[in-house]
Amino acid sequence: MSSRLGGLFRNTGFAIILLIVLLAVNLVLNAARFHPAAWGALIGLAAPLIGAAVASAPVILAGRGGIDISVGPLMGFVNAMVIQVLFLKLGMSSPFLLVPAALLIGGAVGAVNGFLATVVRIQPIVATLGTYLVLTGVTLTILPAPIGPAPGWLKAMAGTWSALPLIALFAAWWIVRRLPYYDQLMAIGSDDRAAYTAGIDVTKVRFIAYVMTGVFAAVAGLMLTALIGSADPNIGQAYTLIAIAAVALGGVSLAGGRGGLAGAAIGAIDIFLLQSVLTSFNVSTYVLQIAYGAILVAAVILTAVQERSARPEEI
Amino acid sequence: MANIQRLLSSTNGRVLVAFVIAGLLHLIGTLAIPGYSSPFAIRAMLVIASLLAVASIGQTLVVILGGIDLSIPFIIGFANVVAAQLYGNEWNFAVVCVFVLVLAMLIGAFNGYIARRLDIHPLIVTLGTGMIVQGSVLLWTKGFPSGSAPAEVSAFVSIGGSAGPFPFPWVVPSLVVLSALIILLLARTPYGRRLYALGSNPGAAPLALIDPVKMWMLTFSLSALFAAVTGILLLGFTGSAYGDVGQPYLFQTIAAVVVGGAALVGGRGSYLGTLAGVLVLTEINTLLIGLGFQPAAVQASLGVIIVLLVSIYGRERHVSATI
Repeated sequence: MSSRLGGLFRNTGFAIILLIVLLAVNLVLNAARFHPAAWGALIGLAAPLIGAAVASAPVILAGRGGIDISVGPLMGFVNAMVIQVLFLKLGMSSPFLLVPAALLIGGAVGAVNGFLATVVRIQPIVATLGTYLVLTGVTLTILPAPIGPAPGWLKAMAGTWSALPLIALFAAWWIVRRLPYYDQLMAIGSDDRAAYTAGIDVTKVRFIAYVMTGVFAAVAGLMLTALIGSADPNIGQAYTLIAIAAVALGGVSLAGGRGGLAGAAIGAIDIFLLQSVLTSFNVSTYVLQIAYGAILVAAVILTAVQERSARPEEI
Repeated sequence: MANIQRLLSSTNGRVLVAFVIAGLLHLIGTLAIPGYSSPFAIRAMLVIASLLAVASIGQTLVVILGGIDLSIPFIIGFANVVAAQLYGNEWNFAVVCVFVLVLAMLIGAFNGYIARRLDIHPLIVTLGTGMIVQGSVLLWTKGFPSGSAPAEVSAFVSIGGSAGPFPFPWVVPSLVVLSALIILLLARTPYGRRLYALGSNPGAAPLALIDPVKMWMLTFSLSALFAAVTGILLLGFTGSAYGDVGQPYLFQTIAAVVVGGAALVGGRGSYLGTLAGVLVLTEINTLLIGLGFQPAAVQASLGVIIVLLVSIYGRERHVSATI
């Protein structure tokens, strides 16, 4: 177990140190907000960003420029579909209908991305830019203005039961890690040519990574819906870049093959905690933005320097 | 069929196809929308395309190098707001321009240095510095930028302006000259050859005595320079400063470069292709708005069209073809 923890530390580098420091600072500054009684709401507040970061990770791990910038708009699309179309128009309110429907939407969009990026072989950033624009446009068309409310059980997912969707996400990833698929994914991410010559179906493995990203993004979209308790057409897009920043912060290599979803989640928690510290100082959103950027650049620089000193022979 | 495939796989072929598509789109627009080819409409399209073309110069160079620059929209906003603010503080406008452009180039050089020297993906570095730059500008102006552009800059990019006897503002002929210079720079100078060499084989280029760090710093600072120029031109175009004025250029510059036939893995692409991409994007946008599409529908259609175009001629090789 200790070697597993050591591995996590090596992979996430400074993100985990940052996490501990920020958590300590938060406990001192915002004792009430971080009191165990408030954990439900606190986790609910952090959940959409964690979800978005975790969702962005699988395609990045798959390598060769793999990236999905449509994660944010997909969250917004799921938000709009679940509330406006499925709940308010079609009257579906049961979690046993809404959750599978949301996951299906996410999986379908992920499959489209995967088809474009792996079968048609359009560069992933361009392919997902296409879906980014389409999803943003369609979301605004089906939902021109914010509308509510969300069903009660869904709102509870941002309060008392806020840990549940996150646990479900990580349980799903825990299962994936135990499949041969995981080794194939990491092998392709490190060196797809070598993996191909070893007989791995590169196209299929990458395609599944995109579908996984879509499904995870749908979960993130549900968590976002739970948090805002309504539907808002303009809220999703903002998550894309910050999620990619969280992934990089968490030690996932954008070149693929290195890192994991736990790192991505830690990166997202870092950003959330930083936000929490800075807002408790009542700083403006401008300072917040400078701090995001500075922490992001500083963290990737420190991680890179640390890696270089760890492997001097490779310089 | 084999001929078409060979045409599409060559860089020149892709550029040609992109220009043909732009022409076809213009033809469709002229047939479908009355007034689409009226002098005023063409003038407006030329100005809008020129602004995008300037902003895309840097993205083209960076993509040939094998990088990507997400800081372009933030640098555009930075130059836009800072130039207006300083000019409003009664600075000489020439001094303002030099100050803004030098500062932008320093930011760009920082991007290039960090990304290459420490081997960090440029997407993350440029996103991070972009956020810092935008936050700093907002903090400085407290979110309410003031000031405006001198009349000369406005006349330079005004849709109603004229360049001597010609019925278009000076920005259009200036862009033609600038484009020729950029194409020359890429095709006929040591810098251009080093750029392609480093982009197509980052491992071998240093063995040919190309200093990767220096090249990355130079190229990213050029990218920031042209983004800042766009910001100042946009100040003249819209008349007042606005920090988010560059946001549409984030994805548009990437789309223009890719539609123009460049590969994001580096080593391939040309500024002529980017110009074709710029024309295609401007035509699509004008066409869809002219057909009465809502902004949301324009955006969605733009997404579909970019994907369709790139799937015609921008496909990557299968992994089995790279061994």
